[in-house]
Amino acid sequence: MWTYEKRLQFPVHITKTCPKTASLIISQFGGPDGELAASMRYLSQRYSMPFKEVGGLLTDIGTEELAHLEMICAIIFQLTKNLTAEQAKTAGFDAYYIDHTTALWPTAAAGVPFNACEFQSKGDAITDLTEDLAAEQKARTTYDNLIRVIDDPDVLAPLRFLRQREVVHFQRFGEALEKIKDDLDSKNYYYFNPEFDKQFVKA
Amino acid sequence: MADRNTMLKQINETSFLLDDMKLYLDTHPLDENAMEQFSDYQAKRKQLLKEYAEQFEPLACDCICLESNGSDKTQTQYPNKRHWTWSDGPIPWDLEANACAAVKGGR
Repeated sequence: MWTYEKRLQFPVHITKTCPKTASLIISQFGGPDGELAASMRYLSQRYSMPFKEVGGLLTDIGTEELAHLEMICAIIFQLTKNLTAEQAKTAGFDAYYIDHTTALWPTAAAGVPFNACEFQSKGDAITDLTEDLAAEQKARTTYDNLIRVIDDPDVLAPLRFLRQREVVHFQRFGEALEKIKDDLDSKNYYYFNPEFDKQFVKA
Repeated sequence: MADRNTMLKQINETSFLLDDMKLYLDTHPLDENAMEQFSDYQAKRKQLLKEYAEQFEPLACDCICLESNGSDKTQTQYPNKRHWTWSDGPIPWDLEANACAAVKGGR
């Protein structure tokens, strides 16, 4: 289960309206490497994870990703809160405005709607953790790309925080993958799938 | 009595330290120094959340206190009246709730 805390993990305080910036950052809400995909990926993978410590780590990181999703949505909300009809015509935000006004709706920056295929829950501990390592790096690259094209320091502060978290999550998933390899047949950890061939898993 | 934004900044920083330490301890469950640090900050966070709820409004369900609806009466529709305090305070994604971003200095 979950409980809610009435605060953002890191403060988002943006005073300057900028629909163009919002139309780019929305990719970290509903894009292929965004926070929604990250959270749902880890929270879906954890059920069949045969090592409970790693299932716990997936829960904790998946939960933090929900807090990141909330920060990204807060950024977009504040960037478009005082939008004028004239500003709504901004290239890149105009089409979104027609369909969603200034509501939050998960989509990639290029306009592709959120797709559950991004969850990438495969049912093999090695496969899933390798996916998670790549996912954290893909999210980090997306933040790098955003940080390169955005100037507003109020927007950059939370983006830099979020980028750092991708690096930390990558580190923790790497440690989890090493632990799983140690627990499997060290000569060939591809010998079986620990999530399916349970008779091989050491107690 | 600390000001709202200074206190919220302290809560955010203490909570973040715990968020990060939690993930570290998930993969380093026997690290004595980390456990000690976690425990210290856990107590600090609990105290801060309690004080914040008493002075302003509750940030977490466990801190909801119907009897003390805060000394700061600006963030409630029902000042000086027993009421459901969970709805008090700014909504977390609003500018007003994030003014602590401008508070300078560390803990």
